[in-house]
Amino acid sequence: MDFLTTYIALAEIYVLLGLSTNLLVGIVGIFSVSQAAVFGVGAYLTAFLLMHSSTPFPLAILLSAALCILLNIIVTLPSLRVSGDYFVVTSFGIQLLATAVFTNWTGGTGGANGLPGVPAPILFGHEFIEPTEFMLLSTIGMALGCLCFWLIMRAPFGALLRAIREDELAVAALGKSVLRAKVSAAALAGAFAGSAGGLYATFLSFIDPSSFDLDASILLLTMVVVGGARTLAGSVIGPFVLLALPQILALIDIPTTIAAAARQLIYGLLLIVFMLFRPQGLLGEKL
Amino acid sequence: MLWLNLLLNGIVWGCALGMVAVSFSLIFATTRFFHVAHAAVYGLGGYITWSALKHGLPEWAALVVGVAVCAAVGAAIQKLLYERLDRSGATHLVILIASLGLSAVMQNGVAAIYTSNILQFGLPWGNRTTTIGGALLTNTQLLTVVFGLASYAGAMWFAHRTVLGKRMRAVASNPFLAEITRLQPRQVHVAVMAIGSAMVCIPGVLVPLDLGLQPFGGVPILLTATIAVIAGGVGSITGAFLLAVVIAVLQNLSLLIMPGEWSIGITFGIFVIFMLFRPRGLFSS
Amino acid sequence: MRQLRRLAFFAAALGALASLPAAADTIKLGAVLPLTGPAAVVGTQEQRGIQYAVDEVNAKGGIAGHKIEVIFEDNQAKPDQSVLLFNKLVDLQKIPAIFTGYSGPSLAMAPLATRKKTLLVNGGAQADALDKASPYLINTIPVLAGELEVLATYLFADAGKKTAAILFENNAAGIAGRDDFLGSFEKAGGKIVAQEPVPFGDTNYRPALLKLAAAAPEVLFVVITSGTPQLADQIRQIDAKFMVAGNTFFSDPELIANPNAEGFIHTQVLINAPEGMAAAFKAKYGTEFDFFPKQYYNAATVVMSCIEKLLKDGKPITGENLRAALFEIKTFKGLTTTVFNTNTAATQINMNRITAKADTTIKVIPPK
Repeated sequence: MDFLTTYIALAEIYVLLGLSTNLLVGIVGIFSVSQAAVFGVGAYLTAFLLMHSSTPFPLAILLSAALCILLNIIVTLPSLRVSGDYFVVTSFGIQLLATAVFTNWTGGTGGANGLPGVPAPILFGHEFIEPTEFMLLSTIGMALGCLCFWLIMRAPFGALLRAIREDELAVAALGKSVLRAKVSAAALAGAFAGSAGGLYATFLSFIDPSSFDLDASILLLTMVVVGGARTLAGSVIGPFVLLALPQILALIDIPTTIAAAARQLIYGLLLIVFMLFRPQGLLGEKL
Repeated sequence: MLWLNLLLNGIVWGCALGMVAVSFSLIFATTRFFHVAHAAVYGLGGYITWSALKHGLPEWAALVVGVAVCAAVGAAIQKLLYERLDRSGATHLVILIASLGLSAVMQNGVAAIYTSNILQFGLPWGNRTTTIGGALLTNTQLLTVVFGLASYAGAMWFAHRTVLGKRMRAVASNPFLAEITRLQPRQVHVAVMAIGSAMVCIPGVLVPLDLGLQPFGGVPILLTATIAVIAGGVGSITGAFLLAVVIAVLQNLSLLIMPGEWSIGITFGIFVIFMLFRPRGLFSS
Repeated sequence: MRQLRRLAFFAAALGALASLPAAADTIKLGAVLPLTGPAAVVGTQEQRGIQYAVDEVNAKGGIAGHKIEVIFEDNQAKPDQSVLLFNKLVDLQKIPAIFTGYSGPSLAMAPLATRKKTLLVNGGAQADALDKASPYLINTIPVLAGELEVLATYLFADAGKKTAAILFENNAAGIAGRDDFLGSFEKAGGKIVAQEPVPFGDTNYRPALLKLAAAAPEVLFVVITSGTPQLADQIRQIDAKFMVAGNTFFSDPELIANPNAEGFIHTQVLINAPEGMAAAFKAKYGTEFDFFPKQYYNAATVVMSCIEKLLKDGKPITGENLRAALFEIKTFKGLTTTVFNTNTAATQINMNRITAKADTTIKVIPPK
């Protein structure tokens, strides 16, 4: 059952990231392509704390979440000044800058070599090393994330965030603080990404920059869009579907030497067809 | 004379990057789609030309075949994919994801047919060198500069002196107005995609002629070119080309004062700060 | 509710993987390699090497009547995919041995290999960390440290080079190469005057080369996995005065055939294909029987020899037994003599010089 539980644990971590991305991109309309960078900072900090200090696991996750809150506020702040397409590319610059730091800051991140041997989480004296056990933690993490997201979407604050996406000027004209709302959303998205990072590092026990690059950020966007932007259900289903897809495509029998490329090709085709016929995603709102 | 060598090298690379940037700028300014599959079209151009050469075509004819195929593919992408998405009111995010899907299809198609190995054109004239200002440049590098400047001039002429170019700029500056004044923006979009795709075939051939063909080779180049397009100011051909050269020169010259692993990071760091101070790019209207 | 139903559907689809029938007499092995994306340039070569070895054995009727099948999984060189795919192969298919490549994915799977007692066979990655990552991680190629000690000693003592510059690929393999060479060369008494990285997959070496050349080293040490023919062209272009030295990655037929590589020297983890084999490989796949296919061909041969022994002894084919068989056989005569005193193979290392489009051995260093 380890395959299934590994799949579920990974998907649940990606759900947290999906929530983070959905909150910014789907709800507030801040088109960020640097969520994997924030995720990476969370992963590296947790790994560093657990490997080089006696910080207990829950504290390490909290510290990672805290750092990522701060960081996410900083990286989304340009959206106040730089808008639309210009912000996308700015955020994309931030992502590339982060990848450069992850790859080259050997002292902190292990550089391109990565960090092997991140200890498994220990909680109440129990080591959560097997995927089946770890799944408990990731399920709790995901459930907390979903609860937060659900509560916020029901609260007046959720309505305010959606209103900012539709018409930022009108919201400002009503005397609401756009700055405060955006900063709060960014903080929450940062907390999701940071704690997802901590779970990811302790689950895999090995991290390197390839998990936190532009490809990863784009994968997160794809998960949100395929699942369905702006909805809780969409952020949950997206990661589960996209992580399962390669495994399902692997069932197609293709001559060995081109099989992998052919499957990626089919994956691309599926994305295109899906965007043509169901642009709102599996469980998203009509766009 | 390290700095001079690095400077020349930067200019040459900047011209290659500039061609990608200008072609992307034409498309992006007009359609506003994040056409990330542009990197795949760049890659396709190289492979098609390589195949044509291997089938015995002379160099110029092979390039013409590559350019023609890219133009047709570009037009088809617009007509069959982006236009449909746009008509159904898809957001830019949805178009971006579809474009990513298209990249996956094209790049993996190329990898399945040509393998993932680095392929070489194997044209001996490409590597012959000439001394210029104390530095040795290969024929391929010189060609890159010539084609780079020509592409820039050609794009400027097209945008400002031709009827289609003027229609393109009108559509870019106000799509709604263009629609009601019967400038037929959808036709313009197809034409611009064809022209931009034809243009990107040239660096798509020249860069691999020098550095070898790889199925995913277009991605890093398009990333840097996109930054040049935005930092230059959307819609400004001069801005896109100039910024491409500046970025390439900066990345080269930065080696004078720091180890190479940081040059890319620093370039993007400077870009992010620059955007905070000039949020609409250098040559914004 | 709809969401739950969809989840259930995917769970069922994944579960269906488990129930695929397996032919009774087929022995299944796994491979988790980067088969798509930028790292596929190496990963697909490794795949071809394994497949070629397996096809060859199967064409002769298999091992004691058992056909061998390798299930190839694509990890795109990502650690999370590697862990997922490892569990898939071991859990659903009960695979006893998995081929791996690239240091990151191998390090990510190593703890699992220990826990699941599954043999992880690496035939290509040479980062030093792989040496002791897991008792179940077997490296059929020596890690870089030994090879580069040979090179550094040769350069300093035999070739009389006192200063060196390093051009390395900015990934685990390249960094390990830089560190090992730097250590060995300085220990021998030489001095490193400059070092520059290049991103993986980027074949534009010019800025780095210009900077390294400006430091006027007597020898340039290069450790890059692919794109060496382009490197030779660019070194020729700057009219370099230094000697160029590399590791086993230089034994690339395209580099050797490149006139600009004249005079390059390199260490080579000895691996020779018998007459006709390289041609047959090229006829089958249309690509050269390069360094990586050869290494993985050899790795597959090692694993299949272990299977043969287990079948002969009437023992079940498990990761644990395969590992025991490996150390019992200890010396394998595949494409090269591979000796396992530890988890990492010792093989003969040659010093070669590329002259007149051919690779000529100038010194032989037997396995320790």
